[in-house]
Amino acid sequence: MAAFDYRQAREIRDVFGSCHVRYLFLGKSGAILLGYPDTTQDADVFVERSPQNGEALVRALRQLGFALTEEQAGEINRGKDFVQLKNGPFDLDLIFAPDGIERFDDAWSRRVEVEGFPVCHIDDIIASKAATNRQKDRESLPRLRSFREYWLKHRP
Amino acid sequence: MESPTQESPAIPPEWLEEFEAAARRPLETRLRYAFIHTYKPILDDEPFRAFSSTEEYRRWCETNLPDWLGYGRV
Repeated sequence: MAAFDYRQAREIRDVFGSCHVRYLFLGKSGAILLGYPDTTQDADVFVERSPQNGEALVRALRQLGFALTEEQAGEINRGKDFVQLKNGPFDLDLIFAPDGIERFDDAWSRRVEVEGFPVCHIDDIIASKAATNRQKDRESLPRLRSFREYWLKHRP
Repeated sequence: MESPTQESPAIPPEWLEEFEAAARRPLETRLRYAFIHTYKPILDDEPFRAFSSTEEYRRWCETNLPDWLGYGRV
């Protein structure tokens, strides 16, 4: 499996957009879209949980080349809290209930658009990482908080 | 949610340099530098996993993944 790249990010943006999927980039991949310089291994997307959005999401994922069985599509449709996909052209984590963010609509109202990519606000990215209380997230928080200070002053 | 009223720590100079350098790069270049792929044992061994709750996912990570991957909670 090759690393996720710009072309694939654009494909997500374009296909999710054409299928009318409501989603936001979250996690380190979201921070990187905002300008945060770091490395990560996969893309995380926060997806609105609704029957309509679930159907749109499955349609979009299949268009992108994810080989979803009917059973797997059903699990995504039903809006499991967390789905890890490694059966497509790149690794993708679907997060329906991220730690630290109460409601999709709240995050949506604070979203930032970067070249057409819908991205969670840096405050939501940090809140989500802080709430996981994982070792790897805890280690990244001081630098992310510094980036927040920088981004708030310099955001386009 | 981070609060804008929280005290703002000074940005360490080396990080500031990195943020400024990243800001000068186009998005395509930033993404090229950012995404890497290395094999993660167990985590990468199944093509599809779904968890009913985020808590279930966290517990699965703690039970099944090696500590050094960093997915365990502190």
